[in-house]
Amino acid sequence: MPENVLLLAALLLSLIGLGWFALALDVHWKQACGKQARGVVSARGLRLSGGVALALALILCLQVDHPTMAALVWIMSLAGAALIVAFTLSWRPHWLALLAARPPRR
Amino acid sequence: MFQNFRLAMAWVHTWFGLFLGFVLMVVFFFGSLSVFDREIDRWAIPESRFEPQPMPSFDEILKPVFEDMQPSRESVDQMRSRVDGPMPEHFDTPVRWGAYTTHRDPVLGLFAGYQVPNANNPDELVWGTRTIDPRTGESLPDDQLKIGSRFFYPLHYSLNLHWKDLGYWIVGLAALIMLVALVTGVIMHRKLFRELFTFRPKKSNQRSILDLHNLTGVVALPFHFMFAFTGLVIFAGIYFPVTHTQLEPLHDLHEVVESQETGLPHERSGVAAPIASVDAMVAEAQRRWAARDMAGDVGFLALQHVGDANGYVSIYRAGTDRIALTGEGIHFKASTGEVLREDPPPSTVERIDEFLTGLHLQHFRHWLLRWLYVLGGLTGCACIATGFLFFVEKRKRQHAKRGQIGSRVVDALAVTTVTGMLIATLGILIANRLLPVNLPARGDWEQYCFWGVWGLAMAHAFWRTAPVALGKLAPAWREQCWAIAVLAVVAVVLNWVTTGDHLLKTLSAGYWPVAGVDLFMLVSALVAVFTARRLQRRPRPQSADGSELSGEAAHA
Repeated sequence: MPENVLLLAALLLSLIGLGWFALALDVHWKQACGKQARGVVSARGLRLSGGVALALALILCLQVDHPTMAALVWIMSLAGAALIVAFTLSWRPHWLALLAARPPRR
Repeated sequence: MFQNFRLAMAWVHTWFGLFLGFVLMVVFFFGSLSVFDREIDRWAIPESRFEPQPMPSFDEILKPVFEDMQPSRESVDQMRSRVDGPMPEHFDTPVRWGAYTTHRDPVLGLFAGYQVPNANNPDELVWGTRTIDPRTGESLPDDQLKIGSRFFYPLHYSLNLHWKDLGYWIVGLAALIMLVALVTGVIMHRKLFRELFTFRPKKSNQRSILDLHNLTGVVALPFHFMFAFTGLVIFAGIYFPVTHTQLEPLHDLHEVVESQETGLPHERSGVAAPIASVDAMVAEAQRRWAARDMAGDVGFLALQHVGDANGYVSIYRAGTDRIALTGEGIHFKASTGEVLREDPPPSTVERIDEFLTGLHLQHFRHWLLRWLYVLGGLTGCACIATGFLFFVEKRKRQHAKRGQIGSRVVDALAVTTVTGMLIATLGILIANRLLPVNLPARGDWEQYCFWGVWGLAMAHAFWRTAPVALGKLAPAWREQCWAIAVLAVVAVVLNWVTTGDHLLKTLSAGYWPVAGVDLFMLVSALVAVFTARRLQRRPRPQSADGSELSGEAAHA
């Protein structure tokens, strides 16, 4: 696969991963999904899948670049993703419901 | 003195952060711009708007240019007081020639160092520089200021304050305080993980500013820490100048011993010798790199003891494929082209040093990572700016009641270093497009414009922050945002008018260095308009005493 596609996938995975980490916190779950119960999507499960997504993102980065460079790309992509997740929670929190496999209702 | 450890840390964070925050703001912002310093050079010097070039042939292109070079007038003038007798008209003994390029440089920078007869310290040289078009060897005018790499970049690490190297020391102190502010900030912040994603724009001004301060500080914490730290590592030699103070004799002896070990002569022999084909040496160096599975271009080429039998040529590889700033240098005898030495693989300590240095100086070819660095740097700016705003928001009503001016002064300085700095930056770019092309010392005038515009912005900031003393919002912020929006658009239009390179043209040609600078300015204009309009709205009702703040904020 071309390198740009791999890097884009890595960025998306870190965004999704951090989104799951955010949803694992009760405050943000309520912001995104309102009163809907967590159901099968437990906080622990979200943290676990978040961790897996971030690990996959790192693996993709390692496919593209020398390990020293891949590590920096990964860490910096986490910073960018965390900002996006935080600003989504501030202005369009219901969008994050998609990550919990719920319809994004206001 | 303090009730508990956390309060003590809060005091350190607030006051040290405030005083050095103004410096840090400059360091972070111009550091972010320096990520694209070569691209800003393209914007500022229209003659250099072509594709990056590899190191040209030494024998055909570089050698005649080097032979034509002489030290600069400033360098000779500075040296005058340290020489017995008059300075010569012409300097005949070049000690060192060097050419340095990166994968982002269309034009090539050359430098040459010359021996000075009767100098008090015979090792001290006078220097000259030259910028050429590597395709033809033609020289570019000397007084064109490379705004990116010769103004914004040195501003980042020295504030362009060269008197007794004071700038380096102020920036170093600021970096140290940055590390302190990060550690104390983490200690003060009680809910580092629980509030990692928290920004509540609808709460009170104080609360949402503090949220933003925490958010921008925490998400890029590894970046902030590593850049402050590696910045200090890079300049460790300046901050601990033992090699030229207490340990100077040892340092000099070490140089001699080292040259015996490496076989690279330390002194001239006094016997003249011609230079063999350097192009052949470059080909041999590239063959050896390829044999080590590190095929690459030449990044740095240097000749030592030029024209002497002891002369040697050092050829270093451009490190574009990894973070570490390595060179894999190969050294040749200048008169014969025989290989004198191949640099051995670095030791572990050297490897760590190369990684830390390369991480900060970024010679690699990786556009995504470059942009992520800009994001990290601007996040740092946002963190520092919100720190100032929080300081003012928290105190201004109290100060207004007691008739103190502290928060007004801080707000004025914050306006100066946040929006004022952006106005000055746009000011130098506009001056670059407006000043007559053949104005003598044009580059100096561009710099005066930068400082002049910044001075005006500061005056405006102090004048239009008067309402802060009454506990209100300063109109200076809003007005300077409008100024940024207007100036950014003016700069883009002037680039079009004076060079004919409008966005449609640069974008369709895919000439990103210029298109990128233009687009970045237009996006800044949009953000500035958005911010100005938000600031124009009626302020939200404030909770009188900030009672919704948790204990953490109440003491910050």
